[in-house]
Amino acid sequence: MKMETSVISRRDFIGKAAGGIGAGLVLGAPNILRAAQGEASDKIHVALVGFGKQGKVLFDAMSNIPGLHFQAVCDIWDYNLKGGIAKVRALQGHTPKGYADIDEMLATEKGLDAAIVATPDFWHSPHTVKCLEAGLHVYCEKMMANTIEGARAMVRAMEKTGKLCQIGHQRRSNPRYRFTLEQLIKGNRICGQIVNINGQWNRAVSSSQDIGYNPKLAIKPEVLARYGFKDMHQFMNWRTYRDLSGGPISDLGAHQIDIFNWFLGVPPKSVFASGGNDYFKTREHFDNVMTIFDYETPQGGVRAFYQVLTTTSAGGGYYESFMGTEATIQISERSAFTNIYRESSAPSWDGLVSRGFLKRQAAAPKAQSADAIASYESAAPEAYALPGDLSKPPHQPHLENFFDAVRGKAALTCDARHAFESEAPIYWVNPSALSRQPINLTAEHLSV
Amino acid sequence: MSTESCCGGNKLALVFASMLLRLWLAMRAIQTGIEKYAGSKASQEAVNIDGAANSYGLTASASVKQYALENYHGVPQALMEKFKAEPLMSEAMLRLYDRVLGPALIVLGVTILLGIASRASLFLLGLLYISLTWGLILIKQDEGVAWLGVHMIMVVMALVLAEHNRFTLLKKW
Repeated sequence: MKMETSVISRRDFIGKAAGGIGAGLVLGAPNILRAAQGEASDKIHVALVGFGKQGKVLFDAMSNIPGLHFQAVCDIWDYNLKGGIAKVRALQGHTPKGYADIDEMLATEKGLDAAIVATPDFWHSPHTVKCLEAGLHVYCEKMMANTIEGARAMVRAMEKTGKLCQIGHQRRSNPRYRFTLEQLIKGNRICGQIVNINGQWNRAVSSSQDIGYNPKLAIKPEVLARYGFKDMHQFMNWRTYRDLSGGPISDLGAHQIDIFNWFLGVPPKSVFASGGNDYFKTREHFDNVMTIFDYETPQGGVRAFYQVLTTTSAGGGYYESFMGTEATIQISERSAFTNIYRESSAPSWDGLVSRGFLKRQAAAPKAQSADAIASYESAAPEAYALPGDLSKPPHQPHLENFFDAVRGKAALTCDARHAFESEAPIYWVNPSALSRQPINLTAEHLSV
Repeated sequence: MSTESCCGGNKLALVFASMLLRLWLAMRAIQTGIEKYAGSKASQEAVNIDGAANSYGLTASASVKQYALENYHGVPQALMEKFKAEPLMSEAMLRLYDRVLGPALIVLGVTILLGIASRASLFLLGLLYISLTWGLILIKQDEGVAWLGVHMIMVVMALVLAEHNRFTLLKKW
């Protein structure tokens, strides 16, 4: 499958100050994103770059998508490479080519259409740029890069080559999120004025331990050094090293802070963060981080609080909660963590329920508590739920969107430009926490 | 009221009683056997909004009951694990019993319904219920044991009334 893309110049957009940077977010991604041009053909020939934990997640999601041919697998660890080849062979019945080095793969393989990049964060930008320049469309895992410069290079490469570059903020293609934004927040304005956002990802110590490995399977030191790792521990636990990743705020927080920016349609004006090595004393990155973003939206000011804790799981898992004068939408990739609450003073939602926009939840029992003082209390909000769920693995719709765009049938829901606009504020969380100073975000901070 | 009319009326009542018991026991056995082939097929259906399927891909799960040979489980999985843990229960016999139970219930139910060797069929059905009772005693399911005890009483009553059986295909045995 061979095709070229048409490129829409956004130089004017790039030149604008921070207020203008949010324009893409305000307009809504599909209106200004690009789709590849050309006729669809039978198979899209795909290279899998990085077949670690996330690479497997993406492959499993792709295995449900018809019309893909996995032509090559690339991973520097023989253990991952053999595992990837075996999984591909089991799926498509013949063996893909295996490579330890991406340059060799790109020089050798002919006829590739797309690459799925799921390497460690500090390799995202070099690998994505290489693939784009080799003429491939790229789906790259988030965070775009471990540095904002790396992310900028990805946007420039996408726009220079005219190839598609989807970033793995998979919630952007999730029907539950899209429905919530388009129909509930924008269409029916059920939140009223959004005045606050609260998001979190709390993970227990047991889920945050270092990842071990079988010493017999260790990569040779010279190979590790060639690819930027000082030893096998760093290779397995690159997420905890400052030169290799952005740490928990990037690993976990990026998904959710992206939703803040996408739903509000504007970038934050400032960020103030605090973090510490409260439990994992020797890790380079903070194990717990709390952040406040300030936004100015057309409806008024919004403060967004986000915490990522890798030391305790209490507090209801991971979600983003949009708190408005008339309702709060607590949404999560997990359906179980998603709830919608109508303020008692808000207009009735009976019409929305009867039309199928919302489902009413069972009413919570009224508490008869001696410690409640009536004058302090607000009436309990009514609980509602989204009318339906996603019945696929959570990454599948985003990958489907990418391959539909490669076929020219859809616009990307999160191309590198829009991902950058949303991710740029996240790069300033760790600097704020390290300096213990708020950072006012300007065009210099947020633009390509 | 004459003796003749008295006995004729009693006889008719005994015929009806026999038929009712026969129908009940046959239905109970056949449908229980068929249910062992029941399973559910989960499907995802698009959620309707404003009277039409939504365009976002929001779905709601729906479960449809269906019968198929591949769904067959003679002994429910939850009970199977308990039986396997019993020292008096041979695993090989358990596997055989698991295979035979459903078809046996259906076959005996059909023979009782059609009146094919009714007495022998009722006797075999009684033996089957005794075997089930033994299993439930092993795993201390007292309510199930009592429930099967009621079935045994009905089988015995049907045997007692067998001489009044009518509309049978094979009267012998």
